[in-house]
Amino acid sequence: MTKIKNAALHMFKVLWQPFLAIFLGLIVGAIVILIVGHNPITVYITMFQKSFFTLHYLLQSLTRSVPILVCSLAIVASWRAGYINLGVEGQMTVGSFVGTLVAVYMPGPTFVVIIAAVLCGMMAGAAYSLFAAFIYDKFNVSIVISTLMMNYIATYITTYFITFSLRDTSSVYAIQTKEIAMAMRLPRILPGKPFNLGFFIAIALVILLMFVVSKTKFGYESKMTGLNPVFAQYGGVKKTRVMYSTMALSGAIAACAGMLEIFGIKFRFVESMFTSTGYAWTGLMAALISGLHPIGAGFTSIFLAGMQVGGQNIQLSTGIPVQVATLIQSSIILFVSVQLFANWRKKSKLKAAADSKKAGDE
Amino acid sequence: MDINYVLSVVNSALRSTTPILLAALASAICTRSGVFNVALEGQMLIGSFVGIAVNWVTHSPTLAVLAAIVAGGLVGALVGILQVRYNAADMVVGTSVNLLVGALTAILLFVVFGVKGGFKDPALVPLPKVKLPVISEIPYLSTLFNNLSPLDYLSYVIAIVMYIYLFKTVKGYHLLSVGVKREAAESMGISAVKTRIAAVIASGCLCGYGGVALSMGQVTLFAENMTAGRGFIGMAACNLGKNNPIAIIFASLFFGFSDAFAATTQNTIPSQLTQSVPYIATILALIVFSRKRKKKATKTEESKAEAVS
Repeated sequence: MTKIKNAALHMFKVLWQPFLAIFLGLIVGAIVILIVGHNPITVYITMFQKSFFTLHYLLQSLTRSVPILVCSLAIVASWRAGYINLGVEGQMTVGSFVGTLVAVYMPGPTFVVIIAAVLCGMMAGAAYSLFAAFIYDKFNVSIVISTLMMNYIATYITTYFITFSLRDTSSVYAIQTKEIAMAMRLPRILPGKPFNLGFFIAIALVILLMFVVSKTKFGYESKMTGLNPVFAQYGGVKKTRVMYSTMALSGAIAACAGMLEIFGIKFRFVESMFTSTGYAWTGLMAALISGLHPIGAGFTSIFLAGMQVGGQNIQLSTGIPVQVATLIQSSIILFVSVQLFANWRKKSKLKAAADSKKAGDE
Repeated sequence: MDINYVLSVVNSALRSTTPILLAALASAICTRSGVFNVALEGQMLIGSFVGIAVNWVTHSPTLAVLAAIVAGGLVGALVGILQVRYNAADMVVGTSVNLLVGALTAILLFVVFGVKGGFKDPALVPLPKVKLPVISEIPYLSTLFNNLSPLDYLSYVIAIVMYIYLFKTVKGYHLLSVGVKREAAESMGISAVKTRIAAVIASGCLCGYGGVALSMGQVTLFAENMTAGRGFIGMAACNLGKNNPIAIIFASLFFGFSDAFAATTQNTIPSQLTQSVPYIATILALIVFSRKRKKKATKTEESKAEAVS
């Protein structure tokens, strides 16, 4: 019983700060909505009605949350260890591109093909991310810059392939690959709704990552590296190995995010599908708001996905650009980051990370 | 190969260099003062947008450039205050400011012009082109220096001025000392917080300038996220130039050339491939040139390089 109580108390401690930041972020959004020339209160009411409080939109939000949630896990995995992976978008592009190709072109029984596609996709995502780790290790090339550059490279190179050799020529306009077979798609939960098994796979990934970061040696080592690399090394943590495995894990998770979207919703790889939707960046914001906590990132992702869905519906009905949602979300992070109420969260991982970084800086 | 064609590629490279050079200088002044600024991209993008917006309202390129510089400085002030005054984590502030500005410019694009995606209009006044007195008469040199705006020339002047400021003046020395050893500088009566915030605001102004050089340089238009990673390429250029403004000029020219290469070859090679050239070039350049530094770096410096680079 006390265990449950402690857990609840812990949840509250983790969560109340983001909630306050969310409130302040909504105020910033309200000001912008006023400038655009609408009543913020009615806009917000419509926004939340059309994201969480009707079954149709709730399912839409939950469906949308799948890639965002998994991307946020990819961020959590790498940033916790202090490796600033900004390349989730590129890793999910490359990973899901390879996964889709295997699913479309590999002959054999469906079950075998699915397993092969998922494994190849995850390996491709991990390999793409490992390249950044490799050039950091060998040539000291900043992971921040290399992973960001690789986002653009991934988008352009995959677009090149699907524009020419791998294009589905049945459509004249759309630049996309062929569809994956019916039997390989993730089953839908309710008839007629795109909501599918992918959501539950995403939840399973949250629990899995939570287990990895809190119960395994690898999770402990990567957390120590993130908090204080020098101390971790002194304590016998092999920094290089932790970096490679962390980046590989992050890339593989990112690939899963892309594949869940393709196997669950789109059924094919479409030109710059992850660049235009910005899933990776919304996932990044979710991870930062939750202070790099897997479960917190899960809830925040669902919330942000709902805001995106609500924002799109507002754009349809009032013409307010959907980017209002992004604006609110990024100001929420700024409010979280300044820690105006630092006294209450001295033990926060984010602050510790910032301090250790500062210590290294000076 | 036609010599005039080569010269026109060089000319195009010179024009592509300007935004990257400014971003790299912005990165340099922050790094020198001991601040890791990742929000360069956002600081540039706001400059691009405000430049076009003010140009549209006032029809004055001069006012547009000034407004862009101020707007970049304001975003820089936000970043500086959050990172330096409130000790917020640099990566967190940087990435969220980049996303914030991306969203804000998209919303303002709709508010001001009523369009989504991008804005282009013949009523926008392009920057005047500099006609050099003697050189424009000489056949080959005239191609080389054709169509360059005052912003392009001024950017090299800024680099030289920054070099002199950092290494030849007392104020510059104070800034460097804050970056090297904060406590030592403070014992001399220099306020580290003020110096650092000022450096970040200066970087914002430089980026605003770079942003307006992008939206009113080769073309006169604004498109959502038109900076397309140039802030980060600037960071790479700064990295290659080892935070030295003069060396940064050459590093930026390299990236300007890769941009120009992508633009001029897209008729012969599929554009999907050439567009990725500047990004591949950035990674390759960082690999080739930073090899030696890793060997030299001792273990304690390694963690420092991680925080700064």
